[in-house]
Amino acid sequence: MDALIEKLKKQIIEQLNLAEVNPDEVSADSPLFGEGLGLDSIDALELIVLLEKHYGIKIEDPKDGKVIFQSLRTMAEYIKAQGKG
Amino acid sequence: MTKAYINGISCISAQNTIDDSWYFDTITPANGDYFSAIEPSYKDHIAPNLIRRMGRAIKMGVTTANLAIIDADAQKVDAIITGTGLGCFEDSERFLLAMLDNNEQFLTPTSFIQSTHNTVGSQIALIMKCHDYNFTYVHRGFSFESCVLDALMLFEEGKETILVGGIEEHTPNFVTLNRRALKLQIQDTTMPIHQSTSNGVQLSEGSTFFLLSKHKSDKSIAAIDGIKTLYKPKTSEDIFEKLIVFLKLYNLTLSDIDVTLMGFCGNQHFDKYLNELLPKLTTNTAIASFKNLCGEFYTASAFAMWVATKLIQKQQLPQSIVIAGSEPKHIKHVLVINQYGGVNYSFMLVSQC
Repeated sequence: MDALIEKLKKQIIEQLNLAEVNPDEVSADSPLFGEGLGLDSIDALELIVLLEKHYGIKIEDPKDGKVIFQSLRTMAEYIKAQGKG
Repeated sequence: MTKAYINGISCISAQNTIDDSWYFDTITPANGDYFSAIEPSYKDHIAPNLIRRMGRAIKMGVTTANLAIIDADAQKVDAIITGTGLGCFEDSERFLLAMLDNNEQFLTPTSFIQSTHNTVGSQIALIMKCHDYNFTYVHRGFSFESCVLDALMLFEEGKETILVGGIEEHTPNFVTLNRRALKLQIQDTTMPIHQSTSNGVQLSEGSTFFLLSKHKSDKSIAAIDGIKTLYKPKTSEDIFEKLIVFLKLYNLTLSDIDVTLMGFCGNQHFDKYLNELLPKLTTNTAIASFKNLCGEFYTASAFAMWVATKLIQKQQLPQSIVIAGSEPKHIKHVLVINQYGGVNYSFMLVSQC
């Protein structure tokens, strides 16, 4: 799980061009939206595409995103649960 | 038509114009057939959470717009008008490449949202929380001129303060394609640009913004009296006749002009009419060029207006831009005669106020 979280962290930083973010300062459980990384609704769309492109996971219902994208850990757990991690 | 008072300016160009103390002292040469813009550290001007989504055109535009507003000490603007020939080219290219690379799948929204020509104007509006008039002109070599004309007309309609700017960015792919099309050429810097026998230009980019006001204040640096555009004039005589009529609108003749800034680009074919005009203009006025400093791009005339404003502000004509005539004792009227591609010609009159 830890390796997948680290991989996700790097992919998100690259995809969202978070050049100012130090990967070591991003914890697995800190919120991705609002506080924490401070992502917004456009980033949510980027994360949906990221999951589809890198893990072959298509999120059909956008409401699921609220749960899946809470933190790096919830994303990693969702990927594992889909048998893709 | 109402005058527009220039209360604030800011410029990112191939020279160090972003440094307010720069005044033609250190000239940065082109890198072969291309001038890159000298860009500041954007972190000093734009919030980090906004920078990460911005392409270079947006960063250049937002920064210069912000600095022009600060320069004018303006609290709000009634309109934002931007001009660009190519718009946010970097993001357009990124989105199209992603379509090709991913077989039209997995397309992300950011580069698409940021790729439109009016992104710069809209980003400025979002940052300033300006919900008023917002317009972007994409008229090739008339893009910036259209902005100025629109601003002058909006002043007639009652607007008080207007932000006007010209923005252009290029990508390595765009430069390569222009190079293959033989549109770019290294210029012989041992001779003045108007004597160039080249068949190409030195491409460049940049962003220049002006905070214009309907009313004169202690912040007013100069005034834009008027503007005129000419599309595909048939002869240089045609241009000259229209120039005389243009000056007459402001009760001026050629002998009243202290400095004429001419848009020689180094391509002998595009510069033909300007070279034919030159002997008719040199009687009483100093002639200067500007594209030997800023290179050629669709909104290079915005750089010319920045130079005109600076000349009036500093009352000193730098030798590095003079191609004919002698330094005037006093710089009251500066005339810009620009051309783009031998197709788009324009006159802009900037005067002391």
